[in-house]
Formats: sequence, structure tokens, C-alpha cells
Amino acid sequence: MKGTCRACLHFRNDPAYLEAIFQGLNVMSSAWASVVAEDGLCLRHDRYLSAEASCPDFTAASSVTSDA
Amino acid sequence: MSKVETDFSGRFAVRRSSRWSELWRKEDWWAIWLGLGIVVIGLVLFAHGGSWRWVAVVPPKWTSLAQLGAHFADNWPRYVVQFLLWGAAFSVALTALGLKAREFLPAFAFVYLLSVAVIVLGQWDRANYYNLEPPLVALVLGLVIANVIGLPRWLDAGFRVEFYIKTGIVLLGATLPFTLIIWAGPIAIFQASIVSIVTFSVIYWVGLKLGLDRRLAATLGAGGAVCGVSAAIAIAGAVGAKKDDAPIAITLVILWAIVMIFVLPFVAHALHLPAGVAGAWIGTSEFADAAGFAAAQTYGGFAGQNSIAGNADQSVFAFTLMKVVGRDVWIGIWAFILAIVASTRWEKRALGRKANAAEIWWRFPKFVIGFIAASLLVTWVTSGYSLADFNKIVNPGLIAPIKDLRTWAFIFCFLSIGLTTRFREFARAGNKPFLAFSSGVAVNVVLGFILSAWVFASHWANLTQ
Repeated sequence: MKGTCRACLHFRNDPAYLEAIFQGLNVMSSAWASVVAEDGLCLRHDRYLSAEASCPDFTAASSVTSDA
Repeated sequence: MSKVETDFSGRFAVRRSSRWSELWRKEDWWAIWLGLGIVVIGLVLFAHGGSWRWVAVVPPKWTSLAQLGAHFADNWPRYVVQFLLWGAAFSVALTALGLKAREFLPAFAFVYLLSVAVIVLGQWDRANYYNLEPPLVALVLGLVIANVIGLPRWLDAGFRVEFYIKTGIVLLGATLPFTLIIWAGPIAIFQASIVSIVTFSVIYWVGLKLGLDRRLAATLGAGGAVCGVSAAIAIAGAVGAKKDDAPIAITLVILWAIVMIFVLPFVAHALHLPAGVAGAWIGTSEFADAAGFAAAQTYGGFAGQNSIAGNADQSVFAFTLMKVVGRDVWIGIWAFILAIVASTRWEKRALGRKANAAEIWWRFPKFVIGFIAASLLVTWVTSGYSLADFNKIVNPGLIAPIKDLRTWAFIFCFLSIGLTTRFREFARAGNKPFLAFSSGVAVNVVLGFILSAWVFASHWANLTQ
């Protein structure tokens, strides 16, 4: 396995994106909450995963924003 | 490509955060900065003979419109300044989170004006007679506006339920003696642990018996047992749930949480439960912090009248201890344990990762740190005052204004719950998930009542006394 979901083309964990996909998440919680950690949606497998997960279908994203 | 995918194309959907960037990238930390900032400024003002009092204005009790008109004629600049300060503080935080202040501010102005109207109604001398408790009025008003009238989507920028409630909880810490947390915390943790483990087990077991996938059953179980939508989304990520699992849990948690906002206070009222006992029951059996505070604050409004023993503080404090200290703080441990189970027993290869104990910290609801810190700070600073001086000097100069600012933050939250709840947009839950979750609700409510009103009744009834 070449990399984790965090750097994968198929992975989406932008909080605004998650709140748009998961209708109602903002009613009594928030995608910006600590409990969400860096989890996100895998568009390849339709799974909601930790950013630390990985799989054989990993495809490096051409660019990943970093606020480090 | 879905509409959301289209909307987000052209901007990066994947964000990598350094560990330190949590401090300005997560809402929990911003609730701490705002809440503790208000408390620290309050302490500095108090030390120099000042107070937040001028800014922390709230409409007074009123009996006639003329009386109300006179108050606003005299005090409107205070409301303007308060709105500007809240607006500026929230804007800074939300901008750091990546939201747009130019969308937030008009939406927040709408929330603020509605909040003024809700509090004014709650201060009417006939409000109790008509059961016009501000949390319920705010919720119903928001639900009607969102579901009957309808609002443009961009206004959601100002309806930040969790941010408002977390900021309010940090402010609440400043009004709750740290000694009370030490005294009542262990019982809260013990009671909440019993109910959480039993509720999770019931939902998970019924879910499996009905043929639900283990990951969905676990997501539903955590939503019912720990901290509602937040727990559901955390566990969904920890166990690698399917894309549709989290929305099902979100729908069920919200529906039951809204039902319980009305049911728990009115059943407790019918049973004449003391305020502390009802607060503990709500803390055990509500599903989300925001919904629970609406219910607990509603019951606080009943306290001291119609043979309801206790006071409003007891209801809110008991709820807070049970929900925040007893249940919320364990979400990281639940996530860690379920991640181990999912990655070692359910599907070792598919998740492609090992559970990491650091997850307990990264998923920890950090606003609780602000809540504890505010309590510790104010308790320490005011420990030298006698009870008489505390009531005469500290309470009006320091505690009461912070309490009033907390009231505003909570009303922003209660309104936002209603304004963001658009029933027709929720995912369809299906009969089996509904049955599994509802089984847990039934057990949770009964067990929570037994523990709060019988087993630990004297503990909760005498809270703060």
C-alpha cells in the first residue's frame, strides 16, 4: 500500500464538504468538531474512513492543502 | 458527479492539518478561546471594579408593552454593542475555520434579532402560564421558519449550533464551582457509564438480530449511548462505516433528540421531580448536548413553582455533569475500542490501518477542557470571599453577567437547531435501523429514570445545597 487516505485523490475530508454530503450533521454536531478528527469520505469505495486508513486503490492526489 | 461534488470541484477537498493546527482549525478550540477570553476579561474587569454588566444586557421581566418599550429606548446601544462583539468574535473564529464572515454576519444578525424576540417573550410575566419557556419557543420558532417558510441555504453560515453550545458550556464552567465537579463528577461518570454501556449493547444487539451491518449497528449504538450525532460520526469514521450509515444515524438521533426535548421536561414535571433529579435524567437520556441543554433549561424554568423543588441551576448543573463529564469525554475511548474491534475482527484488510491510542486524544471533545478551566479559574479567584461577600460582590459583578452571556449563547444555539432542521432533507432511516435505535431509546429512558429518580435521587436532589 502506497499511502494513506489523507493523501489520496479519492478522499474528501473538507468540513464544508462533509456537512454538504451528510445532511443534518450541522443540526446537533459539526464537521469542524474535534470528535471528527481527520475522517473523510472515500469516493472510490463509498466508505467513511479515518485519514490513516489505506488500500490498494490509493491514488496520490495532485495537490493536498496543508496548513502545517 | 453529484451536485455537491460539482460545487466543490476546483477547490481542494482534502486538508492536511499539522497536529498544532488543531488549535485554530477545530471549533472546540475556538469555543475555548472565546469562552475563556470572556471569563478572563470578566475577571480583569472585576479586579479593577468593572464588569461585563453593561454589555451583558438582557430584557427584564415585563408586564406591559410600555415598560418593554422604555427598556429598549434606554438600552438599545447596549444591545448594538453586544451584537457587534458577538459578531466580531464569532467572525474571527469562523474565518479561521474557513467559513466566510460576509455570509455569517447577515445570518447572525437574523439569529440575534430572533433571540431578542425569544428572550423578550420568555420575560413576559404571563410566559410561565402559557409554558413559553425560551428554549422551547426558540426551537419551535426555528422549526417553523425552516420547514414552513423556508430560508436560503447561505443563511446556514450563521446557524452554528455546536459552536454556540460549546461556547456556552465554557461560560457555564465559570458559574459552576469546581468543588461541585469533584463532588458530583464520580457519581455522574458511574451512572452515565452504566447507561451508556447498556444502551450501546441493546442497540447493537437488536441491530444485529435485525440483520444490520455491524458498522451501522455500532454507529447507531454510539449515537444513542454517548453523545448523539457527534458520537455517531466519530464511530462511523473509526469503524469505516459505509457512506449511508452516518446519515441514517444522524436522522434517528435528531428525530429522537427533538422528541425528548419536549417529552423529558414535561414528563418530569408531571412526576414533580426535583430540578436536580430531572437534570440528571435528561443528562442520561438525551442524545445531544444542544438538545439536552434545551430540555434542562426548560425544566430549570419550572423549578421553584408548581411543587417542583430546587432551582434552575440544579437542573442545568446536573445535566452538565451527567452529559458533558459523564458521557461526552469518553467518545475517544469508545472510538479507540471500536477501531480495534473493526480492524482486527471485522475486516482486517479493508481498513488498512491499526487502531492508535492517540485517537483517544484527537477525538476528545476539547471544549470540556475549557469548561473545566473556567470552573477552576473562577473558583480559585473567588475562593477568598465569604459566602456573604460572594453573594453581595462576586455574584452581581462577575458571575451574573457571565451567566447572562451564556443565556445568549444558548438561545443562539436553540434557535439554530430549529433553523437547520429541515425534515424533508434528512436521509430515510428505514424500519430496521429505526427499531434498533428506538429499542435503545426505550431502555435508556427507563434506566436513566431509575438511576436518577430512585438509586441516586438524594444525590441529585441535593446538588449545590
